[in-house]
Parts: sequence; C-alpha cells; structure tokens
Amino acid sequence: MEELLDGHVPPFAGPGDWNDVLRRAARHRRPRGRLLVVAAAALAALVVAPALAVLLRDRGVHLPSGADRSNVVAIMQPLTGRVLLEAAPWKGHDGFCYLVLRVRAGCVPRTARGTVLLVPPLFGWSFDSRVRTGAATTFAGKRVRLTVEHFDGKLDVTLFLIRDRLPRLIREVVLRDAQGRVVARVKR
Amino acid sequence: MLAELETLYRSRLPEFRRVAAGIAGDRELGCDAVQEAFASAVRKRRTFRGHGTLEAWVWRIVVNAARDARRRRPVLAEPYEASPNGHAALLPLDLLTERQREIVFLHYYADLDYAAIAEALAISPGTVGATLNAARNTLRSALEEVH
Repeated sequence: MEELLDGHVPPFAGPGDWNDVLRRAARHRRPRGRLLVVAAAALAALVVAPALAVLLRDRGVHLPSGADRSNVVAIMQPLTGRVLLEAAPWKGHDGFCYLVLRVRAGCVPRTARGTVLLVPPLFGWSFDSRVRTGAATTFAGKRVRLTVEHFDGKLDVTLFLIRDRLPRLIREVVLRDAQGRVVARVKR
Repeated sequence: MLAELETLYRSRLPEFRRVAAGIAGDRELGCDAVQEAFASAVRKRRTFRGHGTLEAWVWRIVVNAARDARRRRPVLAEPYEASPNGHAALLPLDLLTERQREIVFLHYYADLDYAAIAEALAISPGTVGATLNAARNTLRSALEEVH
C-alpha cells in the first residue's frame, strides 16, 4: 500500500520560494486595509446619519404643543410627498393650530367668517365654508393658483397656500365659491 | 516567529507539498496551497498563542488551504482502471472519506504520528487511529478485489 501511495503523489523535489510567500502575505494585507476603510465609512454613516437627521429635524418648527395631535390633518405635495401644511384642533379652545412648511406655526381662535392671509409663506385660512378655490396675484400681474382644502369635523376650516415657489410680491388673494363668485378678497 | 516559519518552510516543504497535493487532488494546486498557507501563517503569526506546536498550527492552515483548493478545482471524473498486468494503477482513494484521505496523507506523506495528526486536524489521537485503521481496511479490500 505504501508503494502505491508513493505512486499516487510522487515526492516533490526542489527548493521553495520563501520570497513568494512574503509577497503573497504583503499582497493580501492591502485589501484588508481597504475593507477596514470601507467598514469604518459604513459604520460612520450608520452612526452619523440618524444623529444628523434628528439634529436637522429638531432645528425645524413644530406643531404647537396646544395642538390636538390625535386629529392632525396635512396637505402634501402630490409628486414629492412633502408635507406642506399640518393642522390640528386647538386643545381647550375653539380654533386650530397650524404648521406651514416647517417654518411657521401658531394657534388661532375661530372668528365668524374670518379670512386671514399670512406672507411668507403664502398661507391663510377662512372660516367661511363657501370657499372652494383661490388665486394670488403678484404686483407684476402674474396669477398663481392656490391649493385650497376644507377640513370638516373639529377643525371646520378652509386652509389655502401656495404650492409652488412663492412669488415675492403678492398684491392680493381672491377666494371664490363653487360658482366662481368672490367670497373674500385680501389686499396687501 | 517569522524566522521559525521560514525554517519550517525550508525544512519540511516537500512533505507540506505532497500532503497538500494529495488533498487538493492536483500537484500544482497543492504547491499553490502551501504558498498561500504559509503566507496566511505569516500574516496571522501574532495570533499563534503557543497552544501546541508551531508545526501543528501550520499543518492545520495547510490542510485548510488544500481543502479550499480542492473545492475550487474543476471536477473531472477519474475512472478507476486496472493496469495491463491486472494490478491497480491508481489507489481507489475515492472510496475513502475526506477525513480518511487527509489522515492517510498526513501519516504516510508527512510521517506524522497520531498525536501530531490529531493536533493538526483538531481531533483526538484515538479518532486518528480508528480512522486510519478503517482507511487501511477499505484500501486493502479494494486492492484484493483488483488482484
């Protein structure tokens, strides 16, 4: 059996190449180093990204603490899903709280048929339930359609805002009913 | 440590290559596996904790490298044929398990005793003895059938 095993793998002769061993050992170190760099970068991204997100979010304006967070409504940008406006009933008051584009927030009491326009951002509300559409006109004469949404229930308010880029100088905002009749005109 | 590895490489290279070639099933793959194994040992030398001998530690790395080489090589069917005089031209090593082949090669090609083989393969010396006996019986039976 030993003779046949000898024939299976005949003995090797000749010196080896120790330098080749050292070269191979050195060659394999580099990918490991690269791997460590990639792993470190991935780890840093995992750690930093959520922290950055929290930091940036905290820097924005929030819905006021008086808002009833169990009844929040929102108007979103249809294509991007970006939240343009959030509103909720004002706890303990007859009114509502709002947050617009994460830059402006507040709580307002209900007034009979009251219509209010805030700029910037171009945003407002009307307690007149007839309001269905709205448009803003700039001093240059450009007309911009507004997004108008009525919310029933506890809110019972019509909110309007400009969805696209805000023209700088707004001359007036006109709100109309379903028949196109002017319900409110707000001049600046 | 590097010097000890070099000394081991230079003194035992034919045995390392022969065992690796047997496990890998190819002489060139075996030689390459030994080079890779020693390169790996050089890189990992600081992890050697001195439990057991340096040679057994290196044998384990060589066996693993040869196993990897065997798995990577293209699989070709090797027909078992008798020589014209009726004797077996090749040993029917395919009848052995992978573990049996490794122990046979380590014992016959590297002349390692049971304790050294056990250390290299991380098994007990008793298992080495039993496995080697089973391998011998299998090969003997196969050879008698051919004769």
